[in-house]
Amino acid sequence: MDSFFRSEEMCLVQLFFQTESAHNCINELGHLGLVQFKDLNPGTVAFQRRFVKEVKKCEEMERILRFLENEVVKSNIPIPADFTSETIPVPRDVLDLESRFDKLEQELKEINSNRDTLRQNFTQLMEINHLLKVFDAFLFYPHDRFVAGVIKHERFPAFEKILWRLFHGNFVLRHAEIKPHEEENMDPVKKDVFVVFVQGDQIRGKIRKLCDGFHASMYPCPNNAYARKEMRTNVNTRIEDLRLVLKRTEEFRETTLTAAAANLQEWASKVKKMKAIYYTLNLCNIDITQKLIVAEIWCPVSDLNSVHTALIHGSEQSGSSLSPVVNRIQTQQTPPTFNRVTSFTSGFQSIIDAYGVGNYQEINPAPYTMVTFPFLFAVMFGDCGHGLVMTLLALCYPSLQLIDMLVDGRYIIFLMGLFSIYTGLIYNDCFSKSFNVFGSSWSVRPMFHPHGPWTNDTLHDSGHLHLDPLVSGVYSGNPYPFGVDPIWNIASNKLSFLNSYKMKMSVIMGVAHMLFGVTLSLVNYIFFRNLKDVALQFIPEVIFMLSLFGYLIFLILYKWCVVMKSESAPSILLLFINMMLFDYSSEGTVLYRTQKPVQIFLVVVAVLMVPWLLFAKPLLLYRKHKQLKLVNSLPFNGFFQVNSEIIYITRHCNNLPNCRTSESILSDTEVSMADIFVYQGIHTIEYCLGCISNTASYLRLWALSLAHAELSEVLWKMVLQVALRVTSGMGSVLLAVTFAAFAVLTVTILLVMEGLSAFLHALRLHWVEFQNKFYKGSGYKFTPLSFDRMRDMQ
Amino acid sequence: MSLYPELSFNVDHGYLEGLVRGLKAGILTRSDYHNLAQCDTLEDMKLHLQSTDYGSLLTAGNEDLTVSLIDHRLKENILTEFRCLRSHSLPPLSTFLDYITYSYMIDNVVMLITGALKQRDVAELLPRCHPLGMFDQMAAVGIARTPAELYSAILVDTPLALFFQDAVSEANLDEMGAEIIRNKLYKAYLEAFYKFCQESGGATKNIMCPILEFEADRRAFIITVNSFGTDLSGVGRSALYPSCGRLYPEGLRLLARAEDYEQVKAVADYYPDYKLIFDEPEAGSSRTLEDRFFEREVKLNTLAFLEQFHLGVFYSYLKLKEQEARNIIWIAECVTQRQKSKIDNYIPIF
Repeated sequence: MDSFFRSEEMCLVQLFFQTESAHNCINELGHLGLVQFKDLNPGTVAFQRRFVKEVKKCEEMERILRFLENEVVKSNIPIPADFTSETIPVPRDVLDLESRFDKLEQELKEINSNRDTLRQNFTQLMEINHLLKVFDAFLFYPHDRFVAGVIKHERFPAFEKILWRLFHGNFVLRHAEIKPHEEENMDPVKKDVFVVFVQGDQIRGKIRKLCDGFHASMYPCPNNAYARKEMRTNVNTRIEDLRLVLKRTEEFRETTLTAAAANLQEWASKVKKMKAIYYTLNLCNIDITQKLIVAEIWCPVSDLNSVHTALIHGSEQSGSSLSPVVNRIQTQQTPPTFNRVTSFTSGFQSIIDAYGVGNYQEINPAPYTMVTFPFLFAVMFGDCGHGLVMTLLALCYPSLQLIDMLVDGRYIIFLMGLFSIYTGLIYNDCFSKSFNVFGSSWSVRPMFHPHGPWTNDTLHDSGHLHLDPLVSGVYSGNPYPFGVDPIWNIASNKLSFLNSYKMKMSVIMGVAHMLFGVTLSLVNYIFFRNLKDVALQFIPEVIFMLSLFGYLIFLILYKWCVVMKSESAPSILLLFINMMLFDYSSEGTVLYRTQKPVQIFLVVVAVLMVPWLLFAKPLLLYRKHKQLKLVNSLPFNGFFQVNSEIIYITRHCNNLPNCRTSESILSDTEVSMADIFVYQGIHTIEYCLGCISNTASYLRLWALSLAHAELSEVLWKMVLQVALRVTSGMGSVLLAVTFAAFAVLTVTILLVMEGLSAFLHALRLHWVEFQNKFYKGSGYKFTPLSFDRMRDMQ
Repeated sequence: MSLYPELSFNVDHGYLEGLVRGLKAGILTRSDYHNLAQCDTLEDMKLHLQSTDYGSLLTAGNEDLTVSLIDHRLKENILTEFRCLRSHSLPPLSTFLDYITYSYMIDNVVMLITGALKQRDVAELLPRCHPLGMFDQMAAVGIARTPAELYSAILVDTPLALFFQDAVSEANLDEMGAEIIRNKLYKAYLEAFYKFCQESGGATKNIMCPILEFEADRRAFIITVNSFGTDLSGVGRSALYPSCGRLYPEGLRLLARAEDYEQVKAVADYYPDYKLIFDEPEAGSSRTLEDRFFEREVKLNTLAFLEQFHLGVFYSYLKLKEQEARNIIWIAECVTQRQKSKIDNYIPIF
């Protein structure tokens, strides 16, 4: 359960396995997907690694597979999507598959080139056929000097122009477009037949050259009509023959491709796995004797057993006599951060990771974000009608499959919708209308004559009337049981009432949220045994925030609870400002009797916290640094009782093989002493000013919820209400039209646009205001070798 | 031209500028080159290039990996990117991009003429043309006998016709003539492009004019150096110098009079930037004059990315990409010919 709140405990493990069983072992680990391989040869360039040849082979196979897939898709042959046989790729498969692929590719290329030559012949014959067909029409009188040929349609105008320019019209040019004939799906190029009649052989030679340049194909054409006719029949029989051969070739190609298509998916996954395995092997070390492969992996401590079983399973499959050795090693390297996610939590975790992957074992904000994120969103989006639409949308996603990205976030959207319904009910707001379920606590009747001051004349004379709670019976004395009293929806001072309420509410929620963040930093300190930070950082921070902003909340709640006359009630804003200025001279700023000493005490305490935060930690570090120097100047180190922690460091160093010595630690601290002062200064300033600006920042909760409520009210009044007011028969038609507009605008503006903006603001409140109190976010993510994940990436 | 072109620049060209800046981020860095230079075979280079923006450019297809295949693929890659930019562009960017292609068209025309003079087959020549400079009438170039015929029959419909006015003559085409046509066309082309950039004003002018000035001066220097030992006179030379460079007019006059390399160097000494280029390289470096010109060009082109809202980035990106292709080819050649000592002679970009 611990791993729910912080990242999984990881360990560095050394694996030894035989070269023969490496393939199967890594395959098993890849299926397990819980192991990240460490690069043991970081200095080596990609092409100098051990298994680069095999990786290249796999790439070559992938290329052939792509080629095959292209051909299959081009010929409109369906690729069977699922394959069930999950076979283990073994090294000898590489050779097997390679030769198979090579053969297939050769075969296919041969067929293709055959088909292409056949088609070319076929087109040529067709062109000759056309030429012969139209030649007679071009021929005015027997003429024996001509060039006949076929040219691409779009090139003809340029060709004609150049002929004109070169020979100044001393020629006759005839041309006709080739009509696209029946089964010409293979050759969609538009072409023209042309015949140029000229005088003189020299010009003919030039034209031939020109034709070469324009890629026009020239065909010989017999002079007399009889020979032409004979040639035509000849050509026609050859066309028929070719057609038959072409058909055969196509059929053969199709059978070959269909056979290949059946295996395509399986092959692709096999090759991909093999490539991944060889890539992973490239990260490992190989013993000099070539018998042993050494790998270092990161894996979660809790999964060590399953890793072990997978390895044993793998070596059994390969029939190896020795079982692989798993050796857990101590290390000072920072392990990767691994948070297990489910389909529900993954969306929230990725929101956190987008800001920064947490440090190893640092507290993970994701579990809290799961509640606070939709809640803060809903505070801004509060409208139960819109929330309901959003919830329904989230529920429909799996069936709709609208956008992949939204499918991943459907749980976020679902929760946001549910929370919006909740806050909408509290705001008593549904498409800007209110529900009156329990009956309002306010009543107008008692205001009239026998009890109150109103008469019938008052109703006629004044535009605005004031309900006075002091008149008995106007206010029942019991507040509306749940949420905002519906009577406020028709009150003209609704806005100023709700503004004051929402503003105070957002400050309360903001301070609570930030205090929670600071508390989480305490959990971090305790977990990392960083007890001096509790005293030097956490305590002054909490006191600073509580004494100023905790007191502010107290003032708000006090004012809410104690009944006061609205004329004499002090303004909390002024009161708070005067408290900071020690100004108690002005009237009407007193809430309770002992206010003055309490406030002075709180401000002084808060101010005192600043130097504590600023200087205590660097000074302590400085003292320790001096002691360390002392230890180091002594002839041998380790056993002088200067500081228990130092002893620990030096002892620790002696035990570990490649650990830094205390000198190196010392030189590190020497360099960073000034850094620590600056860093602490920045942190202090950031925290103290941040408390003020972050509290102000939470006012966006109020601002956005106000904007949302106002927009939905405008939409109601300007669009739907217009049609509802029409009383004639046309009203129903108008209503249908305006309802369409209302619905479209509600979805596009209020749901999508406002939703996005509220989402972004909630995101910001979490990333900046909440997480900067405790979250470092400078770790690196655990990226295991996982075949499942590879398949998803496709 | 509006008063503040920056205000409306993004309306028409914002997307493409963003695109080209993104593409620019994919240009190989020094560490990439460092890794490439360590390779022992082309296969290793392929492996390295896979981790860059080139991705699977070299892995597609199973032909044997050769330097010419790499060259071909790189050129194709540049072409694809340029076509994408060109087909999405609006004026004035489209005109600007067309201007860039004209220089390749000039090279292609001249290559076809010389090829035809050597009785080569057109079908053999066409694949060797630069794909950026392809145009319809190209195939007919070899038929022309004189520059006048070339102009009036074939090139009159192409955009190159604009640059042809000075180059028309009735003399028969020979190899020297083809070279002269190339330089005359180039002169006219550079001057027109320079004028176009100047008229665009704003940052485009600030960025592009120095680049084109440098280009013009480089041509003037190279024409002069190459003309030594041929029968091209000083007057003949001065007709070929583009007049939009910083050398114009005084430096060009001096260059026209120069008789050997030392005198050219003396001319360059008057200009601090060119003095650096012509200065004797420090011992041990085997950079040629051409290399140093390229280095300077790369420097000017990288500067283009420091400003926003101008068309220069498109030109610079293309030129840098070409330099990158040259670098990769150089390294690949060195790798295949086992000339490890010369492998560091590439020109790093960023």
